[in-house]
Amino acid sequence: MKRRIRRIVVLTQLLFALALFAAPLFAADDETLKKDLTAVIALQGLPCGEVVNVIVQAESDFAVTCKDANKYRVYLNDAGRVVVDKQK
Amino acid sequence: MVRYPAVLLVLLCAGCASVTPPQPQVAAIQPAAPKPVATKPGDRAVPAATPEPVASQPVTSQPVASQPVASQPAASQPAATPAATSAPQAARGAVKPSPVKPVPQPVLKGAAPIAPAGAASRVAAAAPALDLDALKARLRATKAIGVFTKISLKNKVDDLMKQFTEHYQGKKPPLAELRLSYDLLMMKVLSLLQDSDQTLASEVVSSREAIWALLADEKKFFALQG
Repeated sequence: MKRRIRRIVVLTQLLFALALFAAPLFAADDETLKKDLTAVIALQGLPCGEVVNVIVQAESDFAVTCKDANKYRVYLNDAGRVVVDKQK
Repeated sequence: MVRYPAVLLVLLCAGCASVTPPQPQVAAIQPAAPKPVATKPGDRAVPAATPEPVASQPVTSQPVASQPVASQPAASQPAATPAATSAPQAARGAVKPSPVKPVPQPVLKGAAPIAPAGAASRVAAAAPALDLDALKARLRATKAIGVFTKISLKNKVDDLMKQFTEHYQGKKPPLAELRLSYDLLMMKVLSLLQDSDQTLASEVVSSREAIWALLADEKKFFALQG
């Protein structure tokens, strides 16, 4: 009985540790995407400063909020072009 | 019982430690655009001015300075050394020397009045061999530029190529305007690369004039397209 409890405790600890380490990994991915989208918006010559929030609407379709409160929709159109549309 | 909070704290610290701090955004640090090529009769004169725009880019050429600088002056001083006429053949297959800002400019300025045609052809021969496919592959592979940024850049390159086609067909946008667009695009690429992939940035800088030479020459441009 004691051994079983100990196993459960160890497993719980492992899961907890995994969860702790996974969060920063996802955060890093998110930061990469934000950086990428910031560069895309800057390349189009649109004001943004820095992307602070990204909502994935579909594959290759993002709703982006910038530091300066500008909002954009960044997506890949059928012609294979990256389009940045200003949103209200 | 004290063990659990301690383990929890350690894990929390470990989790926080792996978070990478936000890197400073690449801003338009570069100064004014490089001077457009003053002499533009054909492809010979363009490589003669190769190091000139590079010299006007203090930021991007910083990583270049850490490159094998010693090889560059030798390659970019063909007018001064007669051996340089045969050396390029060997240098062509070798490592691409990157034009470094401090040395080439005065050399070329001095060389031009002495022997304009000969010097130009020799400089053209001494220009680093352009491996466009390798450069493309490296740009595709680099992690310094995000996927969407790469697609966006590719769109811009396509637009510029279209403008060049229009220029050669109907002479619509003048070459000086195209040069400006080209320089701006190059600066965008460099500003994206210079912090995270300095080697590639310096390669792009060194290939800059060679690429322009391809674009500015109608035959070479259409050969490139075909």
